[in-house]
Amino acid sequence: MAINLDSKIPSGPIESKWKNHKFNMKLVNPANKRKHSVIVVGTGLAGASAAASLGELGYKVKAFCVHESPRRAHSVAAQGGINAAKNYQNDGDSVYRLFYDTVKGGDFRAREANVHRLAEVSTAIIDTCVAQGVPFAREYGGLLSNRSFGGAQVSRTFYARGQTGQQLLLGAYSAMMRQVDLGQVELRTRREMLDLVIVDGKARGVSMRNLLTGEIESYEADAVVIATGGYSNVFYLSTNAMACAVTAAWKAHKKGALFANPCYTQIHPTCIPVHGENQSKLTLMSESLRNDGRVWVPKNKNDKRPPQDIPEGERDYYLERVYPSFGNLAPRDVASRQAKFRCDEGFGVGEGHAVYLDFKDAIQRYGEDKIAERYGNLFQMYDKITGENPYKMPMKIYPAPHYTMGGLWVDYNLMSTIPGLFVAGEANFSDHGANRLGASALMQGLADGYFVLPYTIGDYIANTKLEKVTTDNTAFKETKNEVETGINKLMNIKGNRTVESLHKELGRVMWDKCGMSRTREGLQEAAQKIAKIKQEFWNNVRIPGEVNYLNPELEKAGRVADFIELGELMCKDALEREESCGGHFREEHQENGEAKRNDDKFCHVAAWEWNGDNKPQTRHVEELKFENVKLATRSYK
Amino acid sequence: MSENKINLTLKVWRQKGQKDDGQFKEYHANDISTDASFLEMLDAVNEELISKGDDPIAFDHDCREGICGSCGFMIDGNAHGPQKSTTVCQLHMRHFKNGDSVTLEPWRASSFPVIKDLMVDRTAFDRIIRSGGYISVNTGNAQDGNALPIPKQDADEAFNAATCIGCGACVASCKNASAALFTSAKISHLGLLPQGQVEKDKRALRMVEQMDAEGFGACTSTGTCSASCPKDISLINIAKMNKDFLKASLTKKPEAHAGDGV
Amino acid sequence: MIKFISSSVGKKYLMGLSGLVWAGFIFVHMLGNMTILISPDLYNAYGHAIVSNKPLLFATEAALLGALFVHVICAVLLTKGNQEARKSRYAATPNGAKAPAFASQWMAVHGSIILIFIISHLLTFKYGNYYETTVNGVNMRDLARLIYENFQLPQVVGWYVISLILLGFHLTHGVRSIFQSFGLLHPAYQPVIQKLGVVYAVVVAGGFISQPIFVFFAKSLGS
Repeated sequence: MAINLDSKIPSGPIESKWKNHKFNMKLVNPANKRKHSVIVVGTGLAGASAAASLGELGYKVKAFCVHESPRRAHSVAAQGGINAAKNYQNDGDSVYRLFYDTVKGGDFRAREANVHRLAEVSTAIIDTCVAQGVPFAREYGGLLSNRSFGGAQVSRTFYARGQTGQQLLLGAYSAMMRQVDLGQVELRTRREMLDLVIVDGKARGVSMRNLLTGEIESYEADAVVIATGGYSNVFYLSTNAMACAVTAAWKAHKKGALFANPCYTQIHPTCIPVHGENQSKLTLMSESLRNDGRVWVPKNKNDKRPPQDIPEGERDYYLERVYPSFGNLAPRDVASRQAKFRCDEGFGVGEGHAVYLDFKDAIQRYGEDKIAERYGNLFQMYDKITGENPYKMPMKIYPAPHYTMGGLWVDYNLMSTIPGLFVAGEANFSDHGANRLGASALMQGLADGYFVLPYTIGDYIANTKLEKVTTDNTAFKETKNEVETGINKLMNIKGNRTVESLHKELGRVMWDKCGMSRTREGLQEAAQKIAKIKQEFWNNVRIPGEVNYLNPELEKAGRVADFIELGELMCKDALEREESCGGHFREEHQENGEAKRNDDKFCHVAAWEWNGDNKPQTRHVEELKFENVKLATRSYK
Repeated sequence: MSENKINLTLKVWRQKGQKDDGQFKEYHANDISTDASFLEMLDAVNEELISKGDDPIAFDHDCREGICGSCGFMIDGNAHGPQKSTTVCQLHMRHFKNGDSVTLEPWRASSFPVIKDLMVDRTAFDRIIRSGGYISVNTGNAQDGNALPIPKQDADEAFNAATCIGCGACVASCKNASAALFTSAKISHLGLLPQGQVEKDKRALRMVEQMDAEGFGACTSTGTCSASCPKDISLINIAKMNKDFLKASLTKKPEAHAGDGV
Repeated sequence: MIKFISSSVGKKYLMGLSGLVWAGFIFVHMLGNMTILISPDLYNAYGHAIVSNKPLLFATEAALLGALFVHVICAVLLTKGNQEARKSRYAATPNGAKAPAFASQWMAVHGSIILIFIISHLLTFKYGNYYETTVNGVNMRDLARLIYENFQLPQVVGWYVISLILLGFHLTHGVRSIFQSFGLLHPAYQPVIQKLGVVYAVVVAGGFISQPIFVFFAKSLGS
């Protein structure tokens, strides 16, 4: 299939692209909006904000989530904050600087125009959230408070203690529930999208499994939005919630939506290290901790002394040493890699896979009360999980999979290669390039949902001839049949391995070979191992229970099946990208331990096309142009 | 993090579906690391059950870091287990002793019907929020975030109420299965902020009405809700809700209810 | 208004309000009855003064009866609703930090016993044997004699002591709850209110209990 990856970036200077585009887009007249419907799959920050805003405009919205309630979406777990170019601190911030920092932070692998739009709308997000009653942190004078975050030298991060994601999500959720009350949004919970329905080449509906009854339900609409988050759970152990999956995006991919840059994964530097065999997930400790915490390892290898017995002179504050200008606030990919290097060399603490994050100096400087006020809930959480008191002992931390920059390819309008299928938030690929800066995910999710999709979906609907479609249409019936066949196939394997054990196995391969650092040999080896896991899965997985009941194991099995296929693609994408950039670090391509990009050959987006089961996918390329931020070696030294 | 292994006996409520009868069944959890969380212990039990061809124990869970509010059941009659200020996913096995026997039951309330085993349906909470737990502002209408200074103390207090994760432990632990703490936390969160003033009366009236309509019991001020709350939501919120409700009831104008629709 | 009364919060206000009427009354009642500790004559004189003021007496009785009616009706309705809200019970009962306070858990139970107590108390004294006496030349009912008669029986004293202890528990929770239900709880005063409830209950219950106990042991002083 000849695919033209037209990003549809509007012409004109970067500052006026979005403004002009908004003016040039067609509008749907208010009386007609109610005749149009939009399906929103996923109700985290991006999905809930899109559903709310589209409902406010007058569209009929059908929103779905896999959880019992939209308020449980994993956006809830984001701790640190949300960036916005408000320059309330008078420290030289501007839309352009946020744009610049984000492009640079993404290691020049993001689309300039998208990033600029993100920076532009960032300020309106804060205003909207405040108006909704999001209780952001405030100063004594009653004005909003800011803190600094990795990869930036200004304080532009707005926060609500360590629960920013929760508060923003509750804001978007309440805005959506208001539309539910007004009858604009129909909300269906405990539904998992298992396929996309395409009619006349356009996305016109979805197949959903009702997780309580097992029934496969069909829903139709004029456009479909996928906002189902990222795929870090391909690593099994990650900071993502248990239900986070690639399934919805992957089904769309299999129906023709290109999947871009799957190898761009973010490994967050400050998570609680793995301990024990039973561990099911990793817990993040907000990046904001690096504002006051100092990262170090002992200068001597295999130093088994407790941290308080190691004198200052025998500690290596490696981030401050290697990156004097950013110090402990180096961006995530850099900080994670440095931690890995230290541990690989034998300087790790605890069981070898951990470094210290020490608050001793900050507690001395500001007092325990002040530190408790800033990070109280995080310290409490650390204490609960590890049984150690971080006010007395430095925290032990280690990087963990956290966010995925890759995702379904979308154009400037956030539309995928399937007309009518829009993708928002972490599920798309567009704004963070090869590495995401802290406090930018919340910003992007809400930007997409509140300020981009309401315009671009309207433009699509106004410009597209949409025949009336009902779920009696054959395309719906066929899709439903396919989904049911797929489920029966899984149930009938009746093997001996649990889904969990196979997921764990996949995760280990992905983490070892396609994690923080990658090599040609490793990736090739991984591909073979994944092929074996795939075979084992389809021949020997055991799913207990019944199809027509709540069946968590069946849900997991479907998700793991998709993760296996995604894992194959990630390794392939990582193998083909013969350079290091951001979160993608190929050991063959480095200079003094820093990622070495190859702008001549890889200054592009790689978007993969599905060609059918067990057939290699086709790699398509969208060239990236940097007209405003000069391509340069990214340095935080 | 000194790891030990312990063995436990579990008495677990098993119920196939909402309309089926349930009963307790006994299971053994062996060689459980004291570093594991309570849910990870159940994962291990489930892995064994699946291997034996049995139906695994169903329980709601997701983020496993105490913020999504999905998880929650009674451990020996305590919502989220014996530790204060925690969810079950953040309850670790180091708080149990080798040989302990524990009873696991779902949240029991008429408004929270059991879906399966330890899983219940808490959508009643969504319907309460839907009836007024918001500020009616459309996207794009907002003034500058700093145009409206809010005293830090008010913002902090509102934040404290807003940290409710909607897990339902308050209802589960209350002898009357009252949802007063949940409902009042949202009413106070929005009522404490200047943005929330315009709809304050209507919000209190509608949310209380919905809370009652869902079939939750009345507050008897026993305080078990707050004691069981993983986020330590204060009882003071209930007092605030009562005050708002009284004021709204006494000063209600006839038109106040007509503006609900668009 | 009907909406208000039919709501759970509205009923709690009515509970509180009617409880408050009684809480105020029993405090005065307890103080007045303390005269029995001083002398039977003084007690009789005090009683006579009250019954002589007919309008005040009727008004008070009407208010008390009304309040009791509201209190009991609301209690019955709320309890019924609360039972509906949880039809199946837990197998395990909590202990430790998450267990409820005793007083709060059994409000309906001690409330019911107190209701029986109030009725039997009225039957025993208000509608009990009528004796007459003369104090300072005025003829009046000799209630003190009736009291001395009754409180010489250990079972009556025991019943009073138990009922009054329960009344104390009812009050500790009730007084605190009033502040909660009326929305008067404030972080700064919460601990004070908490203590106020206990102090008030101890004073009222203690004061009342002192009366039968005193009379029981002081029976030789009887007229």
